[in-house]
Amino acid sequence: MPQSVLSVRNLSKTFGTFQAVKDVSFDLEQGKIVGFLGPNGAGKTTTIQMLLGLLIPTSGSISYFGKDLYTFRQEIMEKVNFSSTYISMPWRLTVKECLTYTSLLYDMKNRRNRVGEVIEIFRLTELQKKEVSQLSEGQRTRLMLAKGFINNPEVLLLDEPTASMDPETAQYIRDFIQEYRKTHNISILFTSHNMPEVEDICHDVIFINGGEVIAHDTPDNLARRLDISHVSLTVKDGLKRVAAICDDDKLPHIINGRYITVDLKEKAIPDFLKKLLEKGIEYTEISIDKPNLEDFFLAVTGKNSVKVETNI
Amino acid sequence: MKAHRLLAVVLRQLYATRRSLDRLTDIFYWPAIDLAIWGLTSSYFQKLSGGQDHIVVTILTGLVLWIILYMASNSIAITILADLWDRNLMNVLVSPLSWTEWMAGNILLSLIKVILSFIFTLLLTLLLYKISLFSTMGLLIPHIALLIMTSWWIAFIIIGSILRFGTRIQTLAWALVAVISPFSAIYYPLSSLPKFAQYISYVIPSSYIFESAREVIAAGHYDTFKLGMCLGLNIIYLILSLIYLKTSIDTARTKGLASLY
Repeated sequence: MPQSVLSVRNLSKTFGTFQAVKDVSFDLEQGKIVGFLGPNGAGKTTTIQMLLGLLIPTSGSISYFGKDLYTFRQEIMEKVNFSSTYISMPWRLTVKECLTYTSLLYDMKNRRNRVGEVIEIFRLTELQKKEVSQLSEGQRTRLMLAKGFINNPEVLLLDEPTASMDPETAQYIRDFIQEYRKTHNISILFTSHNMPEVEDICHDVIFINGGEVIAHDTPDNLARRLDISHVSLTVKDGLKRVAAICDDDKLPHIINGRYITVDLKEKAIPDFLKKLLEKGIEYTEISIDKPNLEDFFLAVTGKNSVKVETNI
Repeated sequence: MKAHRLLAVVLRQLYATRRSLDRLTDIFYWPAIDLAIWGLTSSYFQKLSGGQDHIVVTILTGLVLWIILYMASNSIAITILADLWDRNLMNVLVSPLSWTEWMAGNILLSLIKVILSFIFTLLLTLLLYKISLFSTMGLLIPHIALLIMTSWWIAFIIIGSILRFGTRIQTLAWALVAVISPFSAIYYPLSSLPKFAQYISYVIPSSYIFESAREVIAAGHYDTFKLGMCLGLNIIYLILSLIYLKTSIDTARTKGLASLY
């Protein structure tokens, strides 16, 4: 049975009368990448700050490797790290200086080698003598990732690690994270608003909304909770009539030029297509897409009209 | 407390200081300007008073001691602000570094800055006014040690307040030490203060230091009562400031880092 490296039990945080996090419980298993998702203001940042010991919970407990975070903070933090797109390193320091001083904060052996390694891994060789203030957003994000990996952490919290990166670099980083997990058996809690990225690299997803965990499952299982498919048609003739059918049947749809995408239950697709045939509507292309994590995200946040089961 | 973590704190700030005109200005430029103004002013008054030798030495000694107090407290307080300004505070706080190590590292760094500024000011005094304060400062080592102790509790109050109220009160890093300067009687005897100000100065440790330093320069006499009073007050304020800092850290950890900005 996989070992839990991070255990969160009944975690709550209240600011005055506002309850930001309500009774959150989950485990992060060794060697797993778990997505921690939710809309803005859902309680993700508050939870992450508590997981890092920056914020004291109103109630509940957090333990890493079976040890309480608040009692064994220093010992735990030697083996944990954090990287976020939304924080930075000291602006007047060069890339190498940032990593050198960070390497000293952790009780590491072969510090100089390790600094060289992360500089190379995160493609910072050419930038190592540049000041942080001279870096682009994407370069700074890579520096933050280098900082996050510098102590060979056993648990890593990544907050939107590929935001502000170009697609090629983002893919390189995703590949690196997956490879590193395999070779080092690291556990990662991963937040992102990029749903395809989460589907790509996360084993499990914890979905938080209104401060509560509303779902915890694999990305595929979460998407399957939606009894909905996207039927996209290239209509040769009768686009308005298709829209009218959708309106009559109260089916959500989007028209884009000669294309229409209709959201409907999988079982209802044959009847819908039959109806088009009966009305003499011709279409030249059809594609049926299964629901994905983004649909689940939109459904639970009320950004589309689809109903979803959110019991954990 | 781990040496490598203290070194990390010092190194981070030294790297920054090397390239920051602001920090270098604090260490060298302002002391040089103060030295020029106070040196010339005191030389002028010395001539007016018929050449009383000790006026320039007394004023410049007061200035050098003040630079020590200001530099020591300000550089400790500035380090937390620097990490807030650079959005680096979270990196520091999620590392294994403890608050005790962080504060100790900052104190170590402030001592380095004080030594740099101190030596620079003494050399500049020699260069500009042909006055060597090295032997005078040798006599004032207990005073310097007590001033550095004073700087710690001032810095802890500033850091505690920033953690409690955020960067909107960051001006305290410069203002708090300045507010005690008139009551410290840096350049003039305590007796020249208005009566109400004298009462305030009785509870300000640095007032005993500057008063005692003048006595050492004028008569070579160490007033152990004054030094003892300063030490006693420093110990009390240090304890109170540490309690304040601890409760402020707890407040920041209850309210969250966002409240600091």
